[in-house]
Amino acid sequence: MAAGAALITFDKVWKSYGQGEAKVHALAGVDLAIRRGEFVAIMGPSGSGKSTAMNIIGCLDTPTAGTYSFMGIDAGRLDRNRRAMLRNLYVGFVFQGYNLLARTTAAENVELPLIYRGVAARERRDLAMQALAEVGLVGREHHTPAELSGGQQQRVAIARAIVTRPTLLVADEPTGNLDTARTHEIMELLTRLNKELGLTIAMVTHEADVADYAERTIRFLDGHVASDSRKLEIAQP
Amino acid sequence: MIWETVRLSLRSIRRNVLRSFLTLLGIVIGVAAVIAMLTIGSGTTQKVKADISKLGSNLLVVRSGRPAGPGGPGGLDQVVRPLAEKELAALVAHLTGARAISPASQKQVRVIFGTESLTSGVTGTDSAYLDARDWKLVSGRPFSDSETRSGTGVCLIGETVRQQFFGAGDPEGEIIRVNRTSCKIIGLLEPKGYTGFGQDQDNVVLMPLHAYQRRIAGNRDIDNIYIAADDRTPTSELQPRVEDILRDARRITPDRESDFAIRDMTQIADAMASATTTMTGMLGAVAGVSLLVGGIGIMNIMLVSVTERTREIGIRLAIGAHEKHILIQFLAEATVLSLLGGIIGILIGLALAGLAAVTLTIPFAPSPAVILLAVGFSALIGMVFGFFPALRGARLDPIDALRHE
Repeated sequence: MAAGAALITFDKVWKSYGQGEAKVHALAGVDLAIRRGEFVAIMGPSGSGKSTAMNIIGCLDTPTAGTYSFMGIDAGRLDRNRRAMLRNLYVGFVFQGYNLLARTTAAENVELPLIYRGVAARERRDLAMQALAEVGLVGREHHTPAELSGGQQQRVAIARAIVTRPTLLVADEPTGNLDTARTHEIMELLTRLNKELGLTIAMVTHEADVADYAERTIRFLDGHVASDSRKLEIAQP
Repeated sequence: MIWETVRLSLRSIRRNVLRSFLTLLGIVIGVAAVIAMLTIGSGTTQKVKADISKLGSNLLVVRSGRPAGPGGPGGLDQVVRPLAEKELAALVAHLTGARAISPASQKQVRVIFGTESLTSGVTGTDSAYLDARDWKLVSGRPFSDSETRSGTGVCLIGETVRQQFFGAGDPEGEIIRVNRTSCKIIGLLEPKGYTGFGQDQDNVVLMPLHAYQRRIAGNRDIDNIYIAADDRTPTSELQPRVEDILRDARRITPDRESDFAIRDMTQIADAMASATTTMTGMLGAVAGVSLLVGGIGIMNIMLVSVTERTREIGIRLAIGAHEKHILIQFLAEATVLSLLGGIIGILIGLALAGLAAVTLTIPFAPSPAVILLAVGFSALIGMVFGFFPALRGARLDPIDALRHE
């Protein structure tokens, strides 16, 4: 993995809502770069612009002004369907509320992104099983979300995010609904995926100890990047 | 991919069995109504045609009065000169190409046996009537010529009359009262069943013309003359000959129009069949309206479904579904739903039509074209009425959709 190359670049990115007097700037000229293989935590109070930034990073949203480039592609100028394609090919999503399809088995949930890629049923099944094994859910393939604990559901969601071998994983408060022990497990899993697969992770969180798992923390405040700090490299044993 | 989509649709339909069923009901009722109407209608048309050919497809019926003009079938003259016996005699004497010529005068009359009574179609005629109408006797004998001439009180009865008075018993030799006159039963007519218009053809009493004229009608008129063409003569050839003989017998000068009408039963059969077809079409169209209502039901439930599954749509969009994927998913769901309704409706419609065929003794005539049309139409309804909700789902913004509770 060519670590070090910029995967994500914000160049004076603005995101504004409303008109005239009522105009609100969620992002006010943000400059930002995230390299391949980084594990970045994004923090900030609500209304700071962190969610807007995450939506743009995940190619769900586009900037009002400025340039957002993803893998060298000017993603901010792409139409809905092209962004959908980009997401399908390169981005995995993990949400606070897991967002699994109800009454649908774990394996089927994991297969979902592959359906939109047009992968054949048998191959889909194999890839889904592999992804579920990677998140430690062997034997739970045919359980529906209602039959799984919160931590297990989030693992299914992670398996769904990585089954396409994405370049970027966007995680929005991935541990927000979990207790401390489960939080620790999920964060260990994300860290392992970051290290083993070289998966770039951008994670929104408001918990400092969760952010500690990341090697870099970006704080947003009032539509600006307030701080951007890198954890000191721990000396190799 | 298509199979995948259909499977997905079926699964989502199964998830809400009751709701899906209620949604289907509109389409089911609509399609069932259309199929039942059209199938019963085409059965009726066949029956009407068969009935009239049973009446004698090579049959001419003469009656007094001007031919029905554009004013419709009621176009009789104010003062009608009835047909008379000498005109019948003229036909019998001069007409070639006829197999049977028979007079008939009819009236609805109360018929009594013991304490039972029945209003029946009483016809005064002669022994050629059975031949002209292609009617047979199950038992007994027809009127003899002498009975016809002298107007003896004898009669032939239809199956309905027999059942009313004698049940399964033998009516021969019994005396019934027809409008205050006694009449001895000498024969039982072969059952003919109902006409396509629900008229019982077996509720009849036939008696010699003179007996009818004297004791029931109280005049010497003949209402109709039935003329059956023989096998070599088409009715179209026979008709002008009949007209010539009758004009001559009734002394109508060439400058005047005929004051009698000759009906060709073949033409009437066609006219009636086309009337039935028109009726069927109209009823079918009315039933079609309920299909529209069913379609609106589908649209309604699909809108609910899209709203309910906003989050699911958000997830699908986030992980890379295109607008068209979402559109196809919901469109397929609506189509599968209404197609399912259509198929159930066809089965119910055919069952109803089958039941009606047995009850009304009409042929069961399901049309593959109509069934195919119904299948296509119900699928089309799903697509048309599913399109707007599906588009609404496909156009959702993934961010808003994911935030939807």
